[in-house]
Amino acid sequence: MSGKTKRYAWQLKDIIMIGILGVLFALIYLGAFYIGMALQGALTPFGLAPFGLEFMYGVWFMAATLAAFIMQKPGVAFVTEVLAAFLELLMGNFPIVITTGIIQGAGLELGFAVFRYKKYNMLSMCVSAVFACILSFIWTYFTNGYAALEVGMLVGMFAVRLGTSLLFAGVLSNLLGKGLARTGVLKGYPVGAKYVHQDIMDD
Amino acid sequence: MKKINPSWKLIGVLAPIVILAFFYNITLNFVIFGGCLIVLAFSKIRWSTALKIMIPVAILAVGMYVTGMKFHAGANIGIGTSEGFLSDVAVENGLQLGSRVLAFAGLGLLFVTTTDIMELVRSLEQQLHFPVKFVYGLLAAFQILPNMQQEYRKTKAAFWARGVYPAAVSPRLLVPLMVKAVRWSEALAAAMESKGFDEKAQRTIYRRIPVRPVDYAFPFLTTGLLILGLLFL
Repeated sequence: MSGKTKRYAWQLKDIIMIGILGVLFALIYLGAFYIGMALQGALTPFGLAPFGLEFMYGVWFMAATLAAFIMQKPGVAFVTEVLAAFLELLMGNFPIVITTGIIQGAGLELGFAVFRYKKYNMLSMCVSAVFACILSFIWTYFTNGYAALEVGMLVGMFAVRLGTSLLFAGVLSNLLGKGLARTGVLKGYPVGAKYVHQDIMDD
Repeated sequence: MKKINPSWKLIGVLAPIVILAFFYNITLNFVIFGGCLIVLAFSKIRWSTALKIMIPVAILAVGMYVTGMKFHAGANIGIGTSEGFLSDVAVENGLQLGSRVLAFAGLGLLFVTTTDIMELVRSLEQQLHFPVKFVYGLLAAFQILPNMQQEYRKTKAAFWARGVYPAAVSPRLLVPLMVKAVRWSEALAAAMESKGFDEKAQRTIYRRIPVRPVDYAFPFLTTGLLILGLLFL
């Protein structure tokens, strides 16, 4: 690769790829959303309705940590999350997803930034998920008016969100990324070389 | 509403949402929701679509209402304790949380039901000057949506045929889909570039999205109304 600029430049195929990943996870999220809604309805009589959607919050962050894992350069996590938010808007979601996407993207990006964009493994993906969880929870705190709620309830909701963030965006994204890299389709990306067993006989 | 430039409409809806997040005002929330419905009534929208959107919103609003009632700040009843503490404070708290959902949903509905998504994308490129690479990359990815749904079903069917029943987010199921994602992205990018897509080249615009002075005024109008509401309600 010739110098810094080329490595950090965005190629059309990169943008389309993170877009398609965004579409894939948006579909999964949509499926989870209906389950979450049913759960929410069931939990309403107990006053625990918000937990219905907290259970799958981490799915939101999956595309971003995965894209960062594949491309390994600054800005990927943020751009993926914002792009995914615009995709959600195109699919008919409310405009508020844009602000949510920007805030979550900032959190996700921060997770890789603290490692100076040198570490792309389970650890940095988990840290990224934690930051996204914290920032998004602060934003939810304001939008949903959580100041009006009991502290114990808030702690509970935060714990659930943290758990799903780590599970989906940290662990599952990492497994998916490694699995994808092993298939060999990522040869053109930084992560490809690390996980594919290069065999001259193959080519 | 349908004639307002999509980009400016987006800004005009997002600005009040961000401001509203930091305030607690039940009357204002209901006024916003009602106001949005009134504007929609004059906008010739499809009410069946609006109703479909409102179903999850209603579930959310009721859920938040009950939560706010039972677990309001300072209630200290803890999870699992039975009811019986339904004071005025509790009801007010419930209304507080429930009405917020409605206010945000009203603003969202105002945007979603009156905006054509293709016009929105074109407008993002023309008015807000999003980089063309991202605009067309986004469109290309968006058009993959039906293929992706089909591929998901196919992959699942392939596993079922072998007697394997993976969970909805199982890596077994997702990795083949992601392989497709990478392949599709390469193919699409190659196709676009081979047909002359070049982000640096001067583009001509086939379908121009008009901007009128009214459009620029829209965000100021919505934000202004919200500030008036915050001051007087």
